[in-house]
Amino acid sequence: MVQYYHVCKRELWFMSRGIDIDRETTNIQRGTHIDDTSYQNARKSFMIDNRIQLDVLDSGDVMEVKVSSTLEKPARMQLLFYLWYLREIHGVERDGVLAYPTERKRESITLDNSATDQVESTVGGILDVVSRDQPPELEKKPYCDSCLYQDLCWM
Amino acid sequence: MPKPNHHIFADGELSRNEGTLRIDTLEGKTEYLPIESVDSLYLHGQLDFNTRALGLLNEHNVPLHVFGWKDYYRGTYLPKRGQVSGNTVVEQVRAYDDPARRLRIGQSIIEASIHNMRGNIRYYDGRRGKFSNTVTKLEELKQSVSTTTDINELRSVEGNARKKYYECFDQILRDPFTLTRREYNPPTNEANAGISFLNGMVYTTCVSAIRKTALDPTIGFVHEPGERRFTLSLDIADIFKPILADRLLFRLVNRQQLSINDFEDELNGCLLNENGRMIVLEEFEEMLDETIDHPRLNRKVSFKTLVQTDVYSLKKHILTDEPYHATARWW
Repeated sequence: MVQYYHVCKRELWFMSRGIDIDRETTNIQRGTHIDDTSYQNARKSFMIDNRIQLDVLDSGDVMEVKVSSTLEKPARMQLLFYLWYLREIHGVERDGVLAYPTERKRESITLDNSATDQVESTVGGILDVVSRDQPPELEKKPYCDSCLYQDLCWM
Repeated sequence: MPKPNHHIFADGELSRNEGTLRIDTLEGKTEYLPIESVDSLYLHGQLDFNTRALGLLNEHNVPLHVFGWKDYYRGTYLPKRGQVSGNTVVEQVRAYDDPARRLRIGQSIIEASIHNMRGNIRYYDGRRGKFSNTVTKLEELKQSVSTTTDINELRSVEGNARKKYYECFDQILRDPFTLTRREYNPPTNEANAGISFLNGMVYTTCVSAIRKTALDPTIGFVHEPGERRFTLSLDIADIFKPILADRLLFRLVNRQQLSINDFEDELNGCLLNENGRMIVLEEFEEMLDETIDHPRLNRKVSFKTLVQTDVYSLKKHILTDEPYHATARWW
């Protein structure tokens, strides 16, 4: 949800209502494939409170794997949210690694004060969006063409 | 890109062979059909199949439409729901149960349906006959849809439009095809048989499209849920019959791709024979893959996708109250 909030609030609203998307889309398959096949040996998956699922590296850092770095901010916020959740709810302090295996790129992420503020305002913003009766208004974005909801959104 | 449908005409056995579908025909041929490349499967022959075969269809979300004697539609085996959303069904029932909301959706459907009928008639006006009166009448009826105040009134507008529309068929269809009256169960002549068969195909296309959403196919808005078939499919099919079925029939008959010899008279009724069904289905499937520019989506979409996006639009309307754009041809 954190990612959707930063990518598209309309998508977040649809997602929060469990409105279905086309699972056969190649983009989803590609993402799943990359997630399944990258860093298989170095990370372990954990489900926490039945709420968040995260990958922890051997070093103890939390890892988030993405297909590409085009939507860097949403991915970073997602990871920061995991770190924030671990710290606030479970008292565990961790650092994060944002990885783009196809680009052979990694980035270290730390939950500092300004990041904490951003995460907290994001959580507030999400609550605001999902509690609306109607989805946020239609708005053309550069990545609409590759969105899973495009047929739903624009029809 | 939507996946193609597959039609099996042979008699024999349909089975699962590891991860793929296998067809053994009575004539001793064996064929394999990669399940990943199938949108919907149509059985026109006499086939045996077991739960393992159904299981494979299930895993890949492939609906199985079964046709029986003389290609009468028998029914559909729908895979276990891939899309489940209690929320969607609840909202759909609420929309049905609220007379104002139901009427609004019904009006959109019928407006689009009459619009698409009118498009066909306008195309043939002057080519095959003088239809300007019908075009005007259909336009009036379309206008009057928005002033209907209940579903019965709406249905009678729809009935009038369809009657006016079918009255032109006789002239549009090249002789010796005639349609003096629209009759079905069973169809009484070749034109009626062609319309019935194609309408059945449009209906199954809608069943498949609705299945890809969490909408409940039994709850329609124009048709009553009491009817035996999936009433939501009947609703959506009304929009697409003029575009997908009637237009194709006109073309096939007028270009003489389909002749009177492609039908056979039974004791009481007339039906396409095997050759006729092959011709119609081949052309129907080809047309489903034809694409047109879609102004709102800003890309080319196939006719099959058009049915899908119509259902998406309805679903979105039900869940968000954003406008439902029933497909009214713009091309």
